[in-house]
Amino acid sequence: MTNPLHAAYYADSAVQQRVCVVENVPLARDTFRIRFHCPQIAKRILPGQFVMMRLNAGDDPLLARPLALYDTVLDGDQQPVGLDIVYLVVGKMTGRLAKLSAGSDMEVWGPLGNGFATPPTDHLLMVAGGIGQTPFLALARQYLGQRVYGGSPLRLTPPERVTLCYGARSGVYLAGVEDFEALGVRVRLSTDDGTCGHRGLVTDLLRRELDGAGEGTHVVCCGPEPMMEAVSQITAVAQVPCQVSLETPMACGIGICFSCVAKVRDGQGGWDYQRTCVEGPVFAAERIEW
Amino acid sequence: MPEEPTDPCSLEVQLGRLRLANPVLVGSGTFGYAREMEHLVDLGRLGGILPKTVTAEPRIGNAPWRTIETPAGMLNSIGLDNDGIEAFIQHHLPYLSRLAAPVIVSIAGRSRDEFVAMAARLDGLEGVAAIELNISCPNVSGGVDLGTDPRMCEKVVAGCRAACSLPVIAKLTPNVTDIQEIARAATTGGADAISAINTCLGMAVDWRKARPLLGNTLGGLSGPAIKPIALRIVYQIAAAVDTPIIGIGGIANVDDVMEFLVTGATAVQIGTANFYNPTATMTVLDQLPEALSQLGASSIPAIVGTLKT
Repeated sequence: MTNPLHAAYYADSAVQQRVCVVENVPLARDTFRIRFHCPQIAKRILPGQFVMMRLNAGDDPLLARPLALYDTVLDGDQQPVGLDIVYLVVGKMTGRLAKLSAGSDMEVWGPLGNGFATPPTDHLLMVAGGIGQTPFLALARQYLGQRVYGGSPLRLTPPERVTLCYGARSGVYLAGVEDFEALGVRVRLSTDDGTCGHRGLVTDLLRRELDGAGEGTHVVCCGPEPMMEAVSQITAVAQVPCQVSLETPMACGIGICFSCVAKVRDGQGGWDYQRTCVEGPVFAAERIEW
Repeated sequence: MPEEPTDPCSLEVQLGRLRLANPVLVGSGTFGYAREMEHLVDLGRLGGILPKTVTAEPRIGNAPWRTIETPAGMLNSIGLDNDGIEAFIQHHLPYLSRLAAPVIVSIAGRSRDEFVAMAARLDGLEGVAAIELNISCPNVSGGVDLGTDPRMCEKVVAGCRAACSLPVIAKLTPNVTDIQEIARAATTGGADAISAINTCLGMAVDWRKARPLLGNTLGGLSGPAIKPIALRIVYQIAAAVDTPIIGIGGIANVDDVMEFLVTGATAVQIGTANFYNPTATMTVLDQLPEALSQLGASSIPAIVGTLKT
């Protein structure tokens, strides 16, 4: 019998280990890419999953932080041996993280969460705001058949188009654009101040992409909550399926603290708080009660 | 042939009628329903498992944000989010009852009668080794009141004791003026053991928005920040009653465990550390025999309450 209280994505393949930082380099203003060696997690992790990262520096900051997979790092034999994580410095923990140098160690556990669903699609349309582009590089690479994640390749025809609509406050915060372009992803940019790409909101870019060409499109979205809510409304009107990757304050990442809840619709007119870490972080947009 | 290890150190402890293979337990609300941890922790090695507190009826819990990190600690106001005792018995207990570690079910009622009814409901169920009475959750009205009033504390404990044959543990709040008075009440009520402490009531504020950071405004502080408070309370309880104490509060490593044992705790619960170091309990269990031997001891009772003041 299925247990209705059993989350499908408990930390069922997670390991906790001390890892060694290989490099930690700036990508954009306040934005860094940290690379660390951890073959056990690297060979299991899927696009859209995350790891918990904790500094080995005493009790302040105390908690680990959930950070999405940016991409796996392969060795000379094309085997996954490390992870790249891209992060924005927003507070105490990420501020200290930015100061770590090669050879430092951290405590990491993962892979965690469900990751993206990967239905066949003609047009994979990734909509990112702020630092929300980070889960999409591996997803694009996976859809394009350029890398295997979790040991088994996606068995589907690659989409005709893979697009990233990416908005940030200002051009100096856009991070990793060249990584997406290198994959062959169409990149459409917007900034609040007009310093790069369209001056305005990323939802303007989304509307343009969907205008009369929504059929066969599959949207994935990650960013600030108001932006994700707007994207889910736009995709609902356009009748285009949409997945959102939520970010909620998390203490453990493994389902034991019940902090990171989001209001998730139960399909019968009601909603319940569900743990983003083990029931998500990726949800079908229509299931979220914003 | 390799030599047999001579006289291995015993980690067994006795908490009233409850005997445990070792004194390292996990705190209620910090370990989910254990299943979440089965891939990270060898659950069978734990001295005891306390699943998340269950209530008589389902509770949706408090609005986010439910946790806020503070210096060397965290505030939570989860609000006893759970699906109620019947869902617990139907969906979680079958899994828990298969584990090698004893399961101590944490219950919270809004009244004495609700506590007693839940104790009676759990009596005789396979897989329930004991019950812990959460008369100290700061995040639901009713909880703190029962744990801050000695007469109510005694009534709840005595009622549960009479309603079931299970060992009964009273989990106390530090948010009282005189912890010894409450500990005596729990003892008079017949508690097999006293767990101390639950979280310390606190809050966090965003001055720019002039708003509290927690959805529920107030929450419970846990983590290393509260360890000195917890040690003080264990010390005071040990001075007041002979009831075995389960020390809780900021315990994260073997040194913390040893501090609580010598101060007067017979066992400990590791709580918040599970969040930021999921394998903390395993490391503590690996290191405990060596720490005992540093004191020349080969059993837990030999060091409990040996503090020289």
